[in-house]
Amino acid sequence: MEVTLKIFRYNPEVDKKWHYETYSIEAEETDRILDLLEKVKGHVDGTLSFRRSCAHGVCGSDALRINGRNYLACKTLVRDVGHKITVEPLLGLKVIKDLIVDMEPFFNNYKKVLPYFINESPLPADGKERLQSPEDRARFDETTKCILCAACTTSCPSYWGNESYLGPAALVTAHRFIFDSRDEAASQRLEILSETNGVARCHTIFNCTMACPRDIKITKAIGELKMAMVTGKLD
Amino acid sequence: MGLKRNVGLAVALRYKGKTPFWSYILHRIGGSALFTFFTIYIMALAGVDFASGILGNWLFQIFSLSFGLFHIINGLRITILDLFPNLIRRQREAIWLEWAVFLPLYGFMLFVVFRSAVGG
Repeated sequence: MEVTLKIFRYNPEVDKKWHYETYSIEAEETDRILDLLEKVKGHVDGTLSFRRSCAHGVCGSDALRINGRNYLACKTLVRDVGHKITVEPLLGLKVIKDLIVDMEPFFNNYKKVLPYFINESPLPADGKERLQSPEDRARFDETTKCILCAACTTSCPSYWGNESYLGPAALVTAHRFIFDSRDEAASQRLEILSETNGVARCHTIFNCTMACPRDIKITKAIGELKMAMVTGKLD
Repeated sequence: MGLKRNVGLAVALRYKGKTPFWSYILHRIGGSALFTFFTIYIMALAGVDFASGILGNWLFQIFSLSFGLFHIINGLRITILDLFPNLIRRQREAIWLEWAVFLPLYGFMLFVVFRSAVGG
């Protein structure tokens, strides 16, 4: 089966403006979009640039806009998107080359929510792990699944309009630690989220939830953060 | 280095979000429509002639009231989902319910506006 692959191209050393290039390649219904990109890079045009690493939906390197929506290229099959496929870089981040975007602003926002475990209390008497009930662990289970691919943040119109908005991925990480019963910095994080570019910029648009390759209910997690901020309760 | 991050309106509108995304777009247009309506209304109250003329125009009434009504009902949906995050899993049904409330009210509103436009 022949697939038409239209790819966003931009090389800052040569091009003044971005453009699209179209490739016709042989593919199977079960090929992934990443396979098609590899085929183009390996056999047609070696200058094509894109990020990839594990190629199995774990590292989050290859989030791209495919037929107008954010997906992970390694988890999206040809049969999911049809025979005419347009591949573009993520929106709202600077394009460095072709499909590669500058992730620096994304990770800067991520760092703002203190994305690490904080507990200054002495260790338990046995000196081993801080125990947690299965119920307490389940409270934030979903938000531990984030792979920081940026598919959610770059699908968010609030982020498109304002780079300083923390964005869904940072909020998901904040949720993961705020609702962890062992963590002691929830109030500090809620303070950060209550700032102008924090949780209030979420307009419940659901693009993030639909873009998440790990099926995290992001809008729900952000909703829980909004309620925690209003009520001060973490149940 | 590289292209700018700017996301223009045309590019943003081409993003294939689903129903909630389009509700968000309509919500923004609705907010602008309400702002325009109240600005002209206040100008009319202040005795500005052309504002009274615009306010009496039935096309303007339909435009601002349609989007304004949608803005109000959609705003209620978002507020309810924000206050009760557990309901977010029912967001599809919430949008259907929103349209179920909006359409009869919209029909009634059109009826009132047309009746006064035709009746003079």
